[in-house]
This record gives sequence, structure tokens and C-alpha cells, in this order.
Amino acid sequence: MNKDRLEIAVRRIRPDEEEPDRLPLRWVTVTRLLAFTEPHRRQRNTLLGLCIFRAMALPGLAWLVGQIIKGPVAAGNGPATLQFLAVFIALFIIGDVALYWRIRLAHQIGENVLRDLRDKLMAHLLTQPLSFFHARRHGSLISRMVSDIEAMRNGIQNNFFITFVSLGQMSCAAALMLWANPSLFLVLLAIVPCLLLVHGFFRGKILHASRVQQETFSRVTSALAETVQGIRVTQGFAREDTNAGIFTRLVRSLADNVVKTASLTALYLPLLELNAQGFMAALIGVGGWAALSGTGTGLGDLVTFFFLADLFFSPISIIGAQLSEATLAMAGAERYFRLLDTVPAWSDAPTARVCPPLQGQVEFRAVHFAYLPDRPVLHGISFVAQPGQVIALVGHTGSGKSTIVGLLAKFQLPLTGAVLVDGHDLATLRQATLRQQMGFVFQQNFLFAGTIAENVKAARPAATDEEIRQAFRDLDCLDLIEALPAGIQTPCSEKGRGLSMGQQQLVAFARALLANPRILVLDEATSAVDTLTEARLQVALARLMKGRTCFVVAHRLSTIRKADCVIVLAHGHIVERGTHLELLALDGAYASLHRDFLSSTN
Amino acid sequence: MPVEPTPPPEASRERTLWRLLQITWSHRSACLQLLGLQLIVVFLTVAVIVLAGVGIDFVRHCTDRNIPAPALPFFVPTDASERAVFVWLGVGILVAALLRAAISFVFGLVSVRFLHGRIVVNLRSQVFAKLQQLSFRFFDSNASGSIINRVTADAHAIRVFIEGVILQLAIIAITLVACAVYMLRTDWRLTLACLAVLPFQVWFAIRFSQKVRPAYEENRDLMDRMVLGFSENVQGIQVVKGFALEERILGRFAGWSEAIRVQKRKIFGEIALFWPVIDGLNRFSMAVLIGYGGWMVARGELALGTGLVTFAGLLQQFSAQVTTLASVVDNAQVSLAGAKRIFEILDTDPGVATEPDASSPGRFLGRVAFEQVSFEYQEKASVLRELSFVAEPGQRIAIAGATGAGKSALLSLIPRFYDPRVGRVTLDGYDVRQLPLQELRRQVGMVFQENFLFSNTIAANIAFGHPEATPERIERAARIAGAHAFILALPEGYETFLGEGGVNLSGGQRQRIAIARALLLEPTVLLLDDPTSAIDPETEKEIMEAMEAAMVGRTTFIVAHRLSTLRRADLILVLDHGKLLQAGTHAQLMAVDGHYRRAILVQSEGVTP
Repeated sequence: MNKDRLEIAVRRIRPDEEEPDRLPLRWVTVTRLLAFTEPHRRQRNTLLGLCIFRAMALPGLAWLVGQIIKGPVAAGNGPATLQFLAVFIALFIIGDVALYWRIRLAHQIGENVLRDLRDKLMAHLLTQPLSFFHARRHGSLISRMVSDIEAMRNGIQNNFFITFVSLGQMSCAAALMLWANPSLFLVLLAIVPCLLLVHGFFRGKILHASRVQQETFSRVTSALAETVQGIRVTQGFAREDTNAGIFTRLVRSLADNVVKTASLTALYLPLLELNAQGFMAALIGVGGWAALSGTGTGLGDLVTFFFLADLFFSPISIIGAQLSEATLAMAGAERYFRLLDTVPAWSDAPTARVCPPLQGQVEFRAVHFAYLPDRPVLHGISFVAQPGQVIALVGHTGSGKSTIVGLLAKFQLPLTGAVLVDGHDLATLRQATLRQQMGFVFQQNFLFAGTIAENVKAARPAATDEEIRQAFRDLDCLDLIEALPAGIQTPCSEKGRGLSMGQQQLVAFARALLANPRILVLDEATSAVDTLTEARLQVALARLMKGRTCFVVAHRLSTIRKADCVIVLAHGHIVERGTHLELLALDGAYASLHRDFLSSTN
Repeated sequence: MPVEPTPPPEASRERTLWRLLQITWSHRSACLQLLGLQLIVVFLTVAVIVLAGVGIDFVRHCTDRNIPAPALPFFVPTDASERAVFVWLGVGILVAALLRAAISFVFGLVSVRFLHGRIVVNLRSQVFAKLQQLSFRFFDSNASGSIINRVTADAHAIRVFIEGVILQLAIIAITLVACAVYMLRTDWRLTLACLAVLPFQVWFAIRFSQKVRPAYEENRDLMDRMVLGFSENVQGIQVVKGFALEERILGRFAGWSEAIRVQKRKIFGEIALFWPVIDGLNRFSMAVLIGYGGWMVARGELALGTGLVTFAGLLQQFSAQVTTLASVVDNAQVSLAGAKRIFEILDTDPGVATEPDASSPGRFLGRVAFEQVSFEYQEKASVLRELSFVAEPGQRIAIAGATGAGKSALLSLIPRFYDPRVGRVTLDGYDVRQLPLQELRRQVGMVFQENFLFSNTIAANIAFGHPEATPERIERAARIAGAHAFILALPEGYETFLGEGGVNLSGGQRQRIAIARALLLEPTVLLLDDPTSAIDPETEKEIMEAMEAAMVGRTTFIVAHRLSTLRRADLILVLDHGKLLQAGTHAQLMAVDGHYRRAILVQSEGVTP
């Protein structure tokens, strides 16, 4: 049976995103993407002009070479050759200067648009309410910001302009050949269906093969990521050999797919080139025959076609490659625009006012709330907290504790009912100005990369180092922070790795303290810190809470005991309220929770 | 005893290059095969151009009898009429082109089979196998992203070196020689004049790539900063919004974003210059050819078709190859950097490995002893100091102490995730370094604070350490761990798929699967590294029960804060800054005024009403 299980492992290790990585061109998306070049229209229009010039210059040069050879050179006319040559040199120098600016401007426009795309997305994301971020995987937002925008760069900077130049070049070359000799041009036209046939036959197959290859590659990457993340388990359980076997099989299947894709390309590219050479064969055969038959086809036409044919054929594979790349840009753009078009579930009312200085009175009036329409989380919650009171929220997971503090911070809006601070309905206040007077300590205290000081400063960017030290002193824990290698300048590094859990908590406390909030929201950490650190944290916490209206999602009995009011929640209802002692005396829901608590901790 | 993983000495570029060349040499037959095919392709390309030249000359000869007829190729019958000559030439070109296409196809096939099918597969497997053996130190000091990159991207380094440097250089050389040979046979002065710009092009391509690459790397750093900042703000969005930092964040982000744009502008000048210069030089050659060659044609010293036109065609082919020089230089830099990182992994001493003289006693009882053990993760940052104690078979050892006291470090020495610097750890009297590593680890079951479960079925996760385990055995382990009931309640029972695209378990459920996973191996020694720390107090009770059942009959080490656990331990080790401060039972330790009693008092004060 273990064989089967390994097979499952190989098969079911999944790629990150199930979304298609390529999409056919859609006019709406193309124009929307191109509209981003509008702020840089002067550069763009210059670039389009240069593209048109380049499209004419290359066939022009080739044609000129043909003219020189069949004219003055064939006639042995030295001075005329030199004159033509001078024109040729002048033309290619101008052409190369144009090429320089074409490449440079294309890159600049691409980079400008990219910056605009990034900034626009960031600004858009920041307007989204918290629920937006909870509903999405962090990695998917990063892919929008990085890989999708990068794919769009290609669309703007390369795919569009290069296709434009190549198409122009093809048509100019075709026009010149048609003008030089219509009957020979007909021979050329006979080749075109073959080209389209080859192209059409392979395009779908290569696309499909490369998609399969990409999927296998994602599987290799995710298997690898799991191995690295789970290395302790792997080594601990001595599973190295089994894993190596699975991985080798994955890598082999990836290689098989690479070979499949490459075999198709190995056939496709020579066949495309074969068309150009087939034309050469036809040119010599038919052209030579015609020259002898005296139908007006001369040596000059053969020479002209010799040089121009390449300019007609080589853009075909270039355009093919650009179009297939453009499908990548298209998929990226569609995903990007979809994200950009997400209307925030709600935002401040246009009439919302700046929050006046608060005393800290909080009232919930018959508040109902649901994250999903048919799944109510809070049912008619009403209570009042006076300035300076400590309110502990108690209840099982999912009883609605965190939702209440979320509503208080205006992270969400109630479905019905109202949340009021100092008598002002939160719906009439601007969220940012409200939160400036609130302080937060979350369960997962996210610290940004940077020093402790920088993280504390998040609450008040203008704070000096001394004020930061004072904040720690006020929490009676400056000694703990100063004991760190670089004191308040100690780096926290990403996700606070480097600082212990207790130290991270202290930083979060100091951050909240520096904001000097009237209302403090505290989601207590569930995980136990060791006892001695815990004692220090309790002291710091008590100092932080002093003189503020506090809402605590409580997991510690010590916190609950000190609360002015304990609100006991069950399934979104307030089932009991009162002080710790009053509730114990009731011998109801709280008393039973309390017993569970004691039995698990003691 | 060599226990410290010694990082290999910093490899010089020359050494890496030499090693890459050796690897290439070991694949010489495949490389020669590819070059042979490429030689034919180049020959046929030249043939098509020459035949076209012959055709033009023949037209000229037919229209102007003063001009001598070109030498006709071997396949044109000597008695063919003039018209037939054209047909023959056309057919010749077509056949050459067909052959060329066929051989290009074979070349593509052979090269991808060799490069991707053999070299990349072997290298990836090797690197992966090695990675798994490396000690945790390696994983501690490298970000997981960079490790993943080594296996996926860097493993291409050797392929890129063979394909993009060695073979490509050979192809350029072959093309140059083929074109030059033909041209020199026709006229050496014209050849020299046409190829005069070549050294300049080579120089320019090399300079370009050397200048642009560092600038791109600088840009990547700016890009990383932007992505890191973005990712942080998304992860910490609650803090951003809670402290009303939106405006500031937006401003900082715009700064990072703009920095990328500004830095890129510097590169654009270089990029934009490259193509026009290379292209301009190619056209300059063309101008020289037409001017000088045209003069020679006029004086009758050079044929128009086989001379001038063919030269022009060959020149086009040749300059197409010359332009790839920039990417060759680039490939050389990329592959050297990648190969250096790959060799680093392959050369790293795994640190912890089975000693050559290791032997297994067969059965273990579970007596664990630490003898004067000192240990540190990094030099001079002592984690454990002169630790000594004995755990008898079946005993329950609780480890208490503040964060950073060395509790997890102590546990990790038993299955040899690390080796101590001084002293020794023994299992049933054997130094753990004298036991076969895999066997030792199979004797030791582990449950961590946070347990990684793999994207696979629940059954496969429980049977992780022993993939051949029967369903009965898996179920037995799950039952002891108190997981059987909730597993059966899942949609597909034991075959339920976990992780991305599968079912997500609660923290308590995950821990119970982890306990079952450890129990399946029937370990003599069980390590429980604070498995309840990341769990809701409400679900803690269930896990405590599972742990109790798991500990029966095994020597168990448990990191604990809870009084209930401490009370039931046969021995409590109180650690402080890596030192063993106190040891004894709960009753013994509470009887003396020490660290332990003080901590317990603080705790009960904070917790009980």
C-alpha cells in the first residue's frame, strides 16, 4: 500500500495557484493596459513615431543594398556606387539612432507604468477593510504585486511595440517586393499558407506542453518547500531516503516534460526557417527560369528579393513569440485588474467627521453582525462601558469576542444597531481619526523589520528615543529591553524573529502606550510564556491599562479577576455579565468556564 | 571528534571554473556529438547561401555572355540546359534546407535530452539528497527561499555553463571558421575588410554584459526591499490600520517603488546602446563589403553572386552569432555564481552523520544520560553548560525554565539534531554518536511546539516515519493519540487530504496527528517540546490526555509550564541560562526555597483566584 501512498504524494503535491497563467488577448484589457501609458503620452507618441520609422528603415536599407548591387555595382560604375554607399551609411546611422531611442523609450515607459501600477495597487489595498485581507492568501497578493505586474511590463515594453515594428517591417518589405516584381511576389505569397499552417499546428501544442511543464515545475517547488519547512520532521523520523526517491521521480517527470516541450520547439523552429529557405529555392528556380524566358524578371529582382525576403520571414517567428508572451501579460493584467476592481466592502461615509477628543465611554446598542450573510456572529449585543473601566470578554472560540473588539475599532460595521464612543456613532466618524485615539495589542503582535525603536514609533512617528525609553520605563521593563544586545536599537527582523515571545509582547505594549490612547483594545495571547516573564508582563500590562477604557479578549484569569465587568459570550449572545465574584456566585456559564480553566491549568 | 560542520573554504572563481570545465569534460562524448551535428548545420547554412550566389551569377551569365559562368556544383549534370540548371539549383537549395531542418531537429532533441534529462536531473537529485542530510545549523542560517532557489534555479548553472558558454562558444567558432574559410578561398583582402569590426564587437559585447549585470543585481535588491515591505504591511495590516498608518505606509511604499524606477533608468542607456552599436557595426561591414567588393566586381576581380551576394549572406549569418556573445558572457557569470552555490552545498560537511565505526545493539531500554554536556548554536553564545543527569527507562522528565534557558536545545541533542561541543549524550550507555543515525532517530519519537504536517493524506502523515505501516498500525497509533474519533468524522477518514487544497485541521487536531506520528514508531524515548504552547486553553485538555497515554512505558522528556505536568514528573530539571539549577521531584523542589518554588508561587498567584 505504501507504493500507492507515494504515488498520491507525487500526484497531489499541488502548484500554488490554480489560475491559468495564459489568457487569450482581450481588447478591453489591452486598451485598459495601454491607457496606463496615457500619463506618459509624449514619450509614447514619440516612440510610436520611431517604431514607424524603424519599420520602414530596415526594408529600405535592404532594398537599397539590392539597388546598389544590381545597379552601379553590376554596371561597374564606381562613383555611383560610392554615392549610393554614402546614402546607405547615412541611412543606417539614422536608423541606429532611432533604434537607440526606441529601446530606451520603451524601457522608460515600461518602468514608469510599472511604478504607477504598483502605487495604484498599494493605495487601493490600503482602502480595503480588514475582512478583505482575511479572505485572501498573503501569497496571492504578493504574486499580484510582483509577478503579474512584471508580466504586464513585458506586455507594454516589448510585446506591443515589437509586434508593431515587426508587422510594419513585414508589410513594408512585402510592399517593396510587390512593387519590384509582382509575379515573383506571388511565389512568396504561395509560401505564406505553409507558414500559417506550421505556426497554427505548433502554437497550441507548444502552449499546452509548456503549461504542463510549468505545472510539474510548481510541483517540484512545492515539494521542495515542504521538505525545507518540514526538515525537522523528516530528519527526526529518518525519512530522507523515501523523500529523495519521491523527489527524484518528480524531477524526472519535470525533465520528461521539458524534453516534450523542447522536441516540439526543435521541430517548429527549423520548419519556420525552412520556409524562408524554401522561398530561396523557389526564387532561384522560378526566377532563373523567368529571367531566361524574358518575362521582364531580371537579375536585379533576384538580388532585391534575396535581401528583402529575410525581412519578410524573420518577423513571423518574432511576432509569434511576442503574441504567445502577450498571453502571459494578459493573464497577469486580468488578475491585476480584477484585484484593482474589487470595490471595498464598505468605506467611511462621505459625511464622516474627524473624531473629536474622546473621554472613553463606549456603548454597543443592539448590535447584530455577520461575516457571511447566513451565519450571524453577534445577536443584539448591548452594553455600556464608562471611561476608565476594564471590560473582559470571555467565551469559547467562536463566541464573538474578537468580533466585538473589531467592531469597536471600526474594522467592521455592524449590520444593524450602533457602536458609539462618547455618544458619537462610529458610522459618522472617520476610521483613521478614531483609531488614532485607540491603542491595540493583538494576539499576534506583528513587528515590522527594523529596530525595536522603529516599531514602537509606529504609534507616533515623531517620538524621540528618549520618549521610547520612557514608554518602556513606564511599563517597568526598560531593564529587560536594555539588556538586549543593542537596547532599543535591537533589530526585530521579519515577523519579530530574534526577539522572544515575551519581548515581542513588551514591544507591542510600548507601542500601544506611546499612542497614549483613551481606549485600549487587547487581544490576550493564548500561548503561555514562561512563568517569570509572565509575571513581568502582567506588571507591564497593568501599567498600560491604567486610566484607560480597556477591552480585553481574556485568556488569563488574573486579567479577568481585575476587570470591572466581565461579559460572558456564547454563540453571539451575552449570557452573563458582572464582576468575577458576582459571576462565580451565579454558578452559571462563567462558573463552568472557570472550572474548565482551573482543571486544565492546575 | 569532528562534530562541527565545517563550511567549505570560500571557492575562488578559478576553482569553480576549473570544476565546471572538469564536469564538461566528463560529458565530452555528448558534447562532441552535439558539436558534430552543429557543424553539419553550419555547413548546410553556408551551402544554401552559396547556391543562391551561384544562381545569381548564372542569371548574370545568361543575360550577359561577357560574364563567365560560375562553377556549377557537383549535382548539376554537365549537359543540363540553362533552364534545367536553375531547376537543379533550386532543388539543391531545397534539399540542403530540408537536411538542415532535419539535423537542427535532431540537434534540439539530443541537446535537451542530454542537458535537461541527464545533467539537470542528476544534479537536482544530488543536491536534494545532500540537503536532507545537512544539520539544522544549515537550515537555521539560510532562508528557506534561498535554499529552494539552490535546487531549482542554481541546479541549472551547470547546464547553462555547458549549453550557454562552452557549446555556444564552439558554435560561434565553427560559424566563424566556416564563413572565413569560404570567404578566404574567394578573396583574403575582402575577408579581412569585412571582419575588421569583429574584435570591436566582441569587446563591446563583453563590456556591455559586465556593466549591466551588477546594475541589474542592484535593482534586484531594490526590488526585494519593495516586496519585503509590501509583504510585511499586508501581513501586519491589522497593525497598520490599528495605528492609522495608511498614509505613511503609502508614502514609504511609493519611495521604494520610485527607487526601482530611478535606478533602472541608469541601465536603460546601456541597454539601448547595445543593439544599435552591434547593428551599426554589422551594417558598417556591409558598407565596406559593397564599397570594396563593388569596386572589385567592377574590375572583374570578384563574381557578383558567389562573391558579393554570398559574402553579404554569410556576413548576416555571422553577425547573428556575434550578437550572442553578450549572452555568453552573461551566462558565464550566472553559471559561475550558481555553480559556486551548488558546490557549496555538495561540499558542506553534513555535520551530523553516522560515524564509520557505528554499531547497533539491536534493542534499547531507554536509559538516557547527559555527561558534562556543553553546547552552543553559534560560537561563544553558550546555550547549555556542563549539563549532567540520568533518566532511567520509563521515567518522565520535565524540563522547566524561562525562554532561552536551553530547554529545546537539550531535547535536540538526544536525536542528534546537533552534537554537543563538550561532553556526551548516551542512550543505554552508548554514546549517541556511536549509533547509526537513522536507527537512533527511529528510537526517539518527537512532538514539537508546532508540528509540520505534509500535504498528503492523514494516514500518510501518521505513517511518515514508516511508510510501509499497515492501516491497523496507523489506527492503533491514532487511537492512543486520541485522534481516531475526529479522523473518522472527516469526509474521507484516514484518506482525507491535508494542507493546501485539502482539509485544514484545528491546532489541537494537528498536535494529536503529530503525537500519533511519533507513536507509530513505538519509540523508546519520547520528546514532547511544549506541544500545548500554541493551543487554545480550551483544547489543551484533549491534548494533555493524548500525551498522558503516549508517555506510558517510554522514557519521556517534556518541556512544561503547567503545574499539573510538573507534579507528575519523576524528575524535574530546572534550567536557567543553560545551567542545571535544580533537579528533583515537585515535592522535593517545593521543599527548598529556590528558583523553582519562587516561579511556582508567581504562577499560582497569577492564575488561581
